[in-house]
Amino acid sequence: MSKKPAPQPALHKVIMVGDGGVGKSALTLQFMYDEFVEDYEPTKADSYRKKVILDGEEVQIDILDTAGQEDYAAIRDNYFRSGEGFLCVFSITDEESFQATQEFREQILRVKNDENIPFLLVGNKGDLDEKRKVTLNEAQSRAQQWGVPYVETSAKTRENVDKVFFDLMREIRSRKMEDNKISNGRGKDKSKRKKLKCTIL
Amino acid sequence: MEQMDLFRCLPGAMAAIRHSLQHEVFQPCDERLLAFVHVTKALKKKKSSFLCIAITKESPYTVNVIQVKKTEKNFYKKKRSWPLNTLKLVDGKAISADSTDFDLVFDKVYKWSATSASERQNFIRSLWKQSFHRQDKPEFKNVPSDWLGSERILPAENETPVIAETSEVGEVEDFQALTEKEEQDLILLMQECGYAVSNAEAFMETLAKDLSILDGENVQSVLASEERVSSLMAHLDEAILEVEKVESQLDSYDEIISHVRTTMEKMEEKNMLIDIANRNNQKLLSELEKVIVELELDSKHQVSLVDADLTTPQGLREAIEAGQALQRVMNAEIHPALVQLSAVQEQKKRFDKWKSKFSQIISRHLNNLFIHLGNDPGESSVQAGELNLPKHSNLHKELRCYTELMHWTKVMDRKAYAALSKVYTSAIGKLYERDIRHFLEEAKVYVSGPIVVAQGSKDEAGAKSKGQNVNGALLGIEKDQWPEFDANERLRFHQIFERVLSQLEPVVLAEQQFCVTFFQLDIVSPTSKNTLTTLDSARVDAKPDEPLMSSYKVERQMNEEVRKMMGDIFGSIEPELINFISHYEKMDSMYCLHTLVRLTEHVMSTQDAGSFLSKSFGPVLVQVKRTYDRFMQNQLQSIYDCRGNRRSKCGILPFVANFDFFARTAEQIFKDTSRRADLDKWYVKLVAAMFEAIPAIAADHPKTPTEVIKMENFHHLFDLLSRLKIAVLDSQRKEAKLKYNEALKGYVTRYFGRPLEKLNLFFDGVQAKVGLGVKESEISYQMAFSKQELRKVIKEYPGKEVKRGLDHLYKKVEKHLSEEENLLQVVWRAMQEEFIRQYKYIEDLIQRCYPGAMIALEFSIEDILQFFSEIARSH
Repeated sequence: MSKKPAPQPALHKVIMVGDGGVGKSALTLQFMYDEFVEDYEPTKADSYRKKVILDGEEVQIDILDTAGQEDYAAIRDNYFRSGEGFLCVFSITDEESFQATQEFREQILRVKNDENIPFLLVGNKGDLDEKRKVTLNEAQSRAQQWGVPYVETSAKTRENVDKVFFDLMREIRSRKMEDNKISNGRGKDKSKRKKLKCTIL
Repeated sequence: MEQMDLFRCLPGAMAAIRHSLQHEVFQPCDERLLAFVHVTKALKKKKSSFLCIAITKESPYTVNVIQVKKTEKNFYKKKRSWPLNTLKLVDGKAISADSTDFDLVFDKVYKWSATSASERQNFIRSLWKQSFHRQDKPEFKNVPSDWLGSERILPAENETPVIAETSEVGEVEDFQALTEKEEQDLILLMQECGYAVSNAEAFMETLAKDLSILDGENVQSVLASEERVSSLMAHLDEAILEVEKVESQLDSYDEIISHVRTTMEKMEEKNMLIDIANRNNQKLLSELEKVIVELELDSKHQVSLVDADLTTPQGLREAIEAGQALQRVMNAEIHPALVQLSAVQEQKKRFDKWKSKFSQIISRHLNNLFIHLGNDPGESSVQAGELNLPKHSNLHKELRCYTELMHWTKVMDRKAYAALSKVYTSAIGKLYERDIRHFLEEAKVYVSGPIVVAQGSKDEAGAKSKGQNVNGALLGIEKDQWPEFDANERLRFHQIFERVLSQLEPVVLAEQQFCVTFFQLDIVSPTSKNTLTTLDSARVDAKPDEPLMSSYKVERQMNEEVRKMMGDIFGSIEPELINFISHYEKMDSMYCLHTLVRLTEHVMSTQDAGSFLSKSFGPVLVQVKRTYDRFMQNQLQSIYDCRGNRRSKCGILPFVANFDFFARTAEQIFKDTSRRADLDKWYVKLVAAMFEAIPAIAADHPKTPTEVIKMENFHHLFDLLSRLKIAVLDSQRKEAKLKYNEALKGYVTRYFGRPLEKLNLFFDGVQAKVGLGVKESEISYQMAFSKQELRKVIKEYPGKEVKRGLDHLYKKVEKHLSEEENLLQVVWRAMQEEFIRQYKYIEDLIQRCYPGAMIALEFSIEDILQFFSEIARSH
């Protein structure tokens, strides 16, 4: 009967990365459904989609929640490729998970072949400050080194949960707008893909 | 009889009987018991009774002989009574004092037998005492004379009868004591002869001597006084003569006086009668006066009744007063017997005439007024631009001053009252019908905007045809095929419907309250008579059960009356409301959710549960509930009917996609209302239907694999339910997740075989042999699974071929999956994992079954990872 009245809202694809057990799924579920699940069940991969209002504009966010442990890192390549922005999560109570972020960062940069890919370093489990192993300073200096923001969150208390997703979406959005300018208003996806391809070659 | 014997023996018992006789029988009729005897009839021994003598307490004193019987229930009762002055003869039968029989002769002979001789004596003596001073005293026969004689000393002229005597009457003593004087004389005599004790003989002699001397002296003096005696005798004779003369004189006087006395007695009796007549006359007079006062109707009122002017407040007030006065006189408290008086009846007829005249005036006036008020525009309330049902408080105010007249009519002229209420209901009913129709029309304008209703009928027809074409907004139909609807219109409908209900409420309540007071519906009339009056000669006393009517029953009857009246006045509410609701439900069946919830809330929240409004909302609610269930049933059916998109990719089935909007809308409407349970019930049914429908549709889709449809739809459903957080659907949410994972696994394994199909087949065979008991090291000796064969198969899968296969698979998966569910990455990741797992499995089998053969797949794990990366980069 009626044509679809509004154009499909902008879609931002976010990938959750980070070592196993740092709370990627917990953050995702808290953001999606306002719930906190205590039981730990390792994720393989799951996809979520939600409509949100970003600075007064309706947008869709796709979240790909991924496995922390993967036998072969190359498996990640495919979904890293599909991501437009990354939440790189570690647990402030787990030094090793903090170290792992380095690896993730490198793989993402390699796969995306883009130094400025929207990226947030997220220190989760902020509610467990008494068990903290990674100092704020350490984390911040690493973020600074990468040129990305660092945010501490708690999936349990919902502290900064919305913030990390929205901050990332804003980065993705401004990044897309930049791309659009560069390609002089041509279809952004196309231009982006083209540009990336060029670099590969 | 034995009991009676007992009484005879015990004086105490006698006194008790006496007391109870006095108390029970005589006291009440102002008489005093003087004496009684316990008797039986001489012939019939069995029937015992008491003969009593009693005297009235007030003058003129009359004495009666009364026969009292003791009843079986042990109380006393007068059986017969005779005035004492009719007693002609008392016959003692035998002179002996021991006899117990006696006869009394009044008009005839009554024979009695006393139970004891002493009682008989007592009784007869009392009879004597009470009657001997009367002129025509009865004759006493065969009665011991001393019973009668001893009483003669009593002063005869004492008219007040001796009352206490009876108890003093005791046995007559024979012994006579010496008088004091005699005693002294004797003592003196004895002293003179001090020696007498020692010498009796000498004393005797002295005494004899003295005696003979005295004798001599005595004879001498007798002789000497003979002369004097004879003269004395002569004197005495003379005196006797004189006395006789006086006596005869006295007799004649007495005769005269006795005549006077009887006259006096008669006069006294007459006086008494006159006195009684007087008193009766006075009473009659006062009674009549009362009747007249009670039945008197002020002439002022009479005028008001006949010529009542109900248009001015002054006239109205007078009319009300007159009406009340008339009602008062017609219900005057008059003894029912007096009602029979023809004067009273005449007055009643006059009252009736006034009454009917007055009632006519009222009827005519109110009739006109009702019909006139039937055109009352009502006062639209304050804010213009708001939907309003006009209130009619002015109308009520105008009528309120006639309330008392209405009540009067109800009591005094039931027929006129019934006619008036009929006129009122029809006139006001029409008014409300008009109001409500207009109100609901206006409500439609408020909901849909004025333009739509301007072409009202056209639009309605359009809506109908739309409804027929598309079946409304069904879960099983793509949302873009749903009839057009306006979310704002829904919201407006919600608000306006609420407003409609909340506007109806006060108007109906106000009307109900008014009717109850105006028509006095809260008082149940005790009779069904036209006019309530005490002056009805043919008055039938109110049925005894009616005043005993239980309060519950009264209340029910009242409610019924109220409801009937309100039903007549507001008969249009129900059909109009249903009309209104179905108008919108035809346009968009989703509206039934709103109506159900709003209406339920109103029915629940009306202050007065028994009020007419909530009762009349009832059927509407039932209807709406039915529509609601039908609506849900349709939704349910549409899920089963849904076939999905068969032309291309299946994607998310419409009912899964639409459930989000559907549930959100429903949640918004139902929230925490009392209808929540109805919604939950349907949620569960709908989701259960989806769980059934998804695999059914998936199983026979021409384009998309079963697992993909299941995977995508259950994934979507899980996501949806997680977001909606509907408590009753939590287990369904978990189940959806389970089914999603199941389908994912199924999809991956089913489609995964493709890139290395032959290798897989080969090693499936190997695995089967191993399963049959062939040793792993001996597999290579089997013809089908020789090293040669293996090499042949392996050769078919060089690295390039594998990459092509993976590329192909990736594209296939990409084609199967829908963009919107975004599961490509998830599926692909699972496939990569599975591929590596299988690769390792094959490598492992080669190592175990063909050890030392130096056979390996033509691609390494690094190659695979490289392929993956390349595939990743190429998209």
